[in-house]
Amino acid sequence: MPQKVLYWKGCMSRFRTKSIADSIERLLTLIKVDYTTLGENEGCCGSVLYRTGQTSDALLVSKRTIDKIISLGVEKVVTGCPGCFRTMSQDYTNTFKSVPFEVQHISQFLFNIRDRLKDHLQPMDAKVVYHDPCHLGRHMGVYEEPRALIKMIPEVQLLEFKYNRNKALCCGSGGGVRSAFPEVSLEVAKSTLGELPEGTEIVVTACPFCKYNFTEANAKKIQIMDLPELLLRAWGG
Amino acid sequence: MSDEWFTSKRDEFMKWLYDENRRRGLSRAVSSYTAARDYALACLPHLEKTRREVRKIKESAIEQMDELRRIASERITESHGNAYFARDAEEARKMFEKLVGSNKTVVKSKSLVTEEIHLNEALERNGNKIFETDLGEFIIQIRGEKPTHIINPSVHVPKEEVAHTFSKLVGREVKPDIQELVGVAREYLREKFCKADIGITGANVVAAETGTLFIIENEGNARFVSNAPPVHICITGIEKIVPALEDAFKVVQVLPPYATGILMSAYVSMITSPSRTADIEKTLVYGAHGPKELHVIFLDNGRSRMLKDPVFKEALYCLRCGGCMYECPVYRVLGGSFGHNYFGGIGIIWSAFTAGEESVAAAIDACTKCGRCKEVCPLEIDVPKMVECLKSRLVEKGYLANRHRIIKENILERGNPFGE
Ligand code: SF4
Repeated sequence: MPQKVLYWKGCMSRFRTKSIADSIERLLTLIKVDYTTLGENEGCCGSVLYRTGQTSDALLVSKRTIDKIISLGVEKVVTGCPGCFRTMSQDYTNTFKSVPFEVQHISQFLFNIRDRLKDHLQPMDAKVVYHDPCHLGRHMGVYEEPRALIKMIPEVQLLEFKYNRNKALCCGSGGGVRSAFPEVSLEVAKSTLGELPEGTEIVVTACPFCKYNFTEANAKKIQIMDLPELLLRAWGG
Repeated sequence: MSDEWFTSKRDEFMKWLYDENRRRGLSRAVSSYTAARDYALACLPHLEKTRREVRKIKESAIEQMDELRRIASERITESHGNAYFARDAEEARKMFEKLVGSNKTVVKSKSLVTEEIHLNEALERNGNKIFETDLGEFIIQIRGEKPTHIINPSVHVPKEEVAHTFSKLVGREVKPDIQELVGVAREYLREKFCKADIGITGANVVAAETGTLFIIENEGNARFVSNAPPVHICITGIEKIVPALEDAFKVVQVLPPYATGILMSAYVSMITSPSRTADIEKTLVYGAHGPKELHVIFLDNGRSRMLKDPVFKEALYCLRCGGCMYECPVYRVLGGSFGHNYFGGIGIIWSAFTAGEESVAAAIDACTKCGRCKEVCPLEIDVPKMVECLKSRLVEKGYLANRHRIIKENILERGNPFGE
């Protein structure tokens, strides 16, 4: 009996990058994961508040969210948003000592059950570069799972930025910069896209903020996709 | 609270973001720096170990900051120098005013601490003539600008602009050829060194047990400044002191590759006393070929407060190599506007303690907390953690960007930041 999983969408995927949430739900269904969502009642993990120094409000909001998740009785929370992932894993445990559920990023979750994906991924003749989202990579140490999943797609050629993994550049939207100084955020995204390796056809990231910001800054009209979107496409979705 | 604190910084940001010249200068510097640094680190595999040792040295030195300053001051005095302790910028300026006097010619080598205490303005008010001799500082001094990088202060000025500035200075057409530009500065500054009454430098590291000042440089100007004039005044932060010469030598190994991507700097000057000789009848006299007087000012200006603060103490380990600035994705587009008197993430912390938290209340909102600075720092200083903590303190004092306040209200009322 598989444990019940909560798919936590996060505000970006609920309101701005809905195709990421749709792709994740579709994938979870395809690989037969018994999951639930909080739908309209999801609320906020508190990440933006932590990152913009609004600590007391962050505590209030995260307490509400923790109680909500506990009342669902799930043992595992999976999210596609590295911001939510870091907050629920690091900030929650720093503040509330321990929480009675495990939190995983979608790339870790899918990697662990990759056998269910493997035989379904169709060949894709494309040069793909993976951008490490700061909150997923540097802050949470998840570097290899997303790469392994990309490499599972037959014929995909995985390229690397010159500076990758813990030295990866930034999409410019974290830490509340996108809302405080949108122009700065956009210029950072442009400068990071300026470092794309030769021949890149698709930039794949694993974070709705990165996808959103890169899409805005994308002058070269290169394809920008989130990891679950890429996997779903390879599945033939 | 009015939002002047925020809008004025935003205006400054916009000037940088859309100034093609500055952005060009900066991006040229970033690519040459990263290539050189990568090469230097590849050539010096043992540096991995040395930089870890330096972290340990700093950890313990900072704990005994006061004691080390006492020892260093004693040793400097014993060797016929003069040591002083300035609690804040104003005290330091007063000391300088007394030592320099008025209507003197002063040559300076690069020192961020003198920027921190606004030294030039104070000395100029007394009719002194100041010549910055580090090429980068020289360029921005004649352009009437402020430094925008701690190691390479004129990083935002491309060669075409330098040529323009120098042409005006020497009254003839100077081509934007870098070699030629350097020649112009050399020619112009050469006689200044010898005519100057006073030379002012900083120090990169100080060894307490011998009272030895280390000045690391490539241009050779700091040698002139600390050697040619009859009086040498050195000002440095109290966090620069390490216990022994061997500790200082380790710092000397780590700085150049991280600061400028070279294996070792062209020159490292070690200065322990005024120049002296006992060649005639074994009688010791001071003032041989080098300066007759040596004055060392140790500056606190917020550093002791940093030490007492468990979150920010780590900022005192900073060697000022500047590596994290070139590597900061935000600094790369905002340059010298990203900070206040110091730049980048670590600069925001330093500015907060030396110039007041308000000075960076808005700049801090441009930090994406990406964490890259910590990864490239030779001492692995956890800057993002400090930035978050400082931000939260600023919010408590009311420095909350309007957009961030709206986001909070949306989250509290509608459960999402967009208010949808
Ligand atoms: S924080 Fe680290 S990388 Fe940045 S200037 Fe200081 S020592 Fe250098």
